[in-house]
Amino acid sequence: MGRKVRFVAVLAGLALVASAAATAAPGAHRADPGVTATTIKIGGTFPLTGVASLYKVIPAAEAAYFAYVNAHGGVNGRKIDFSILDDAYDPSKTVPLTQQLVEQTGVFADFGSLGTAPNLSIWKYLNDHKVPQVLIATGDSYWGFSAKKYPWTIGYQPDYPGEGKVYGKYIATTSPNAKVGVLYQNDAFGKNYFAGLRVGLGAKKSQIVASQSYDPTQTSLVQQILALKSAGADTFVIFALPSQAITALVTATKVGWTPTTFLGNVSANPLFLHIAAQNGANVDGVISTGYLIDALNQGQASLPGTALMKSIISTYAPSLVPSMNAGDANVPYGLGAAWTFVYALQHAGKTPTRAGLMKALKSMTNVKDPFLYPGITLNTSAKDNFPTEQEILTKWAGGATGDWVGFGKLYGKVR
Amino acid sequence: MRRNVPAYTAVAACAIFFALLPFALSNYHRGIAAQVALYLIAILGLNVLVGYTGQISIGHSAFMAIGGYTTAIMSHYHHTNLIATLPLAFAITFVCGVLLGLPALRLSGVYLALATFALAVSVPQLPLKFSTFTGGSAGISANKIVTNTWLYGVSWSAAAIAFVFTWLLLRGRTGRAFRALRDSEIAATSSGVTLAIYKTLAFGVSAALAGVAGSLFVLATNGFAQPNEFSVTLSLKILVGAAVAGLGSLWGVLLGAAFIALLPTISASAPLIGSTHGQDVVFGLFVIAVMILLPTGVAGLVPRLRRRWART
Repeated sequence: MGRKVRFVAVLAGLALVASAAATAAPGAHRADPGVTATTIKIGGTFPLTGVASLYKVIPAAEAAYFAYVNAHGGVNGRKIDFSILDDAYDPSKTVPLTQQLVEQTGVFADFGSLGTAPNLSIWKYLNDHKVPQVLIATGDSYWGFSAKKYPWTIGYQPDYPGEGKVYGKYIATTSPNAKVGVLYQNDAFGKNYFAGLRVGLGAKKSQIVASQSYDPTQTSLVQQILALKSAGADTFVIFALPSQAITALVTATKVGWTPTTFLGNVSANPLFLHIAAQNGANVDGVISTGYLIDALNQGQASLPGTALMKSIISTYAPSLVPSMNAGDANVPYGLGAAWTFVYALQHAGKTPTRAGLMKALKSMTNVKDPFLYPGITLNTSAKDNFPTEQEILTKWAGGATGDWVGFGKLYGKVR
Repeated sequence: MRRNVPAYTAVAACAIFFALLPFALSNYHRGIAAQVALYLIAILGLNVLVGYTGQISIGHSAFMAIGGYTTAIMSHYHHTNLIATLPLAFAITFVCGVLLGLPALRLSGVYLALATFALAVSVPQLPLKFSTFTGGSAGISANKIVTNTWLYGVSWSAAAIAFVFTWLLLRGRTGRAFRALRDSEIAATSSGVTLAIYKTLAFGVSAALAGVAGSLFVLATNGFAQPNEFSVTLSLKILVGAAVAGLGSLWGVLLGAAFIALLPTISASAPLIGSTHGQDVVFGLFVIAVMILLPTGVAGLVPRLRRRWART
């Protein structure tokens, strides 16, 4: 009996030593969470269901790009393992799912998570845990302007106020006597856009003759449109989410109003213009901005990015081919964000670290993301936390089967 | 007195179990266990209303929103101690509940359900209207994030207090009055139960508990309050939890809370179902199954089994 106890004690002692050695050994050059010799685990939360589920194309396109990279040897021999979780655009789901990613799955980074409110709900948590929250799919300016307080967060796309500024500048220079009527969503998103427009108009701010807001749940906009029309506006600026933007375009045509129309990029996906035109809206001549390549655009057919997009989607995500062929901007968006992530990983050290990833994302100079509009490059620095800051003005032509055509010069410093 | 011994033992066993549980759980699972506690409080509250006084409410997400925003706003603007915001949320939502109880006096059944439904739909619009104060659709954050261990401790302590409070309230005169109202308003009134007082009191207590649950809900969401979190589906979730628990029973509540807090997490990682649409389907099927097989809820299972035992 005594011998047995001693034997067990020795065994236990050995086990303790072994476990101590096991934790100490890799401690010398231990990799960050989520990184092994063969894989890099990342994850994000996306609205696969619910009101914003139209955006589920984005994570699918991102997964397709990672599959393409993995099939070509991965990043420094490591394959990217991308977890896509469904938060249905609801912050109360985003929080536990993100905790699951960080604490259970043990991801290296939270990549591409979608929506302003969902990202706000995990902003502090991820920064407290020093988990990169990178290339997130929201165009609010919080992410860019709060880099000091939240160093582990960075966005991807041009921000809303900056885009509003572009429209303002364009109106002030090309038609300084325009009478501007604005329709905007009554929340941070719509108001930030509107604020940007006023800054862009500068001294011509007084040309705004009327502004009308709507609440996100509203479906009819007849009142607002009639008010803008009767105020004598000849220029119509729409800062709305897709369903309201479609309604606004259709309603304006139905009440016999024919202003020069500007449409925020959030709702400028060709899919939505096609729907609006099919419902009777006159969409030709509507002006918006773009920063991505466009599968419908014949002039871009020979670009390397377009060819790459077509080959990746048809090989790794055949279910997205109809979306891509319909001109869905979410396809190049997802590919572009994933491309940028892989680029940053390649520059985050041979064994990537979280700090290295952030540094790579914050020191990009004229980086050519093939899925961005020709001429647009990614630029960041320790002080500049806005990756995409250029946009091209686009005009719609071709009605229900039409597309955007870029015109004029590239606008820089969009923020 | 001797008949109560098993009950006291059960309470003590529960208390010891929940005090020791966090040591056995990972940080992530501690967070989920804390959610069970907050749903438990909400279901307790709904049970007082639906189970004991027979009034329906689909508006409890609204009270949770009010409680949650109370915590977020007090912490954001006034740096109030987070624990101190819980009794404040209790008080504010109690008043709101009593105010809703007044029109509810004239409504019953499906009409009351519709009125409370309207509340659930309209309250999340208020933060959008007063966005400078409440942060609008961008939400508002408490000034600090609590750890999962803190959350576990506070949520289960609050749940214990809420449980004892409800038990004390329901075992005596008030509970008898509530049940009398449920079974027959006319008989209750003629026995001296003042309808208006007890009905509004039930609404107040029920709302107050939902308010505390809402505060904890916001703390569990990294201290972030946003209108989307408090949609009608949250009300329905709590109603489902109460139905699974078995209306009019205090003990089933724990199982009901565990059901709504854990099932989405479990079904999300189940094979074939994954994290998309499937989990709602599993949730729905489970509810239907429980309703058909256990119409009196989990709490009704024990007496049913006992009866069957006696027959054979």
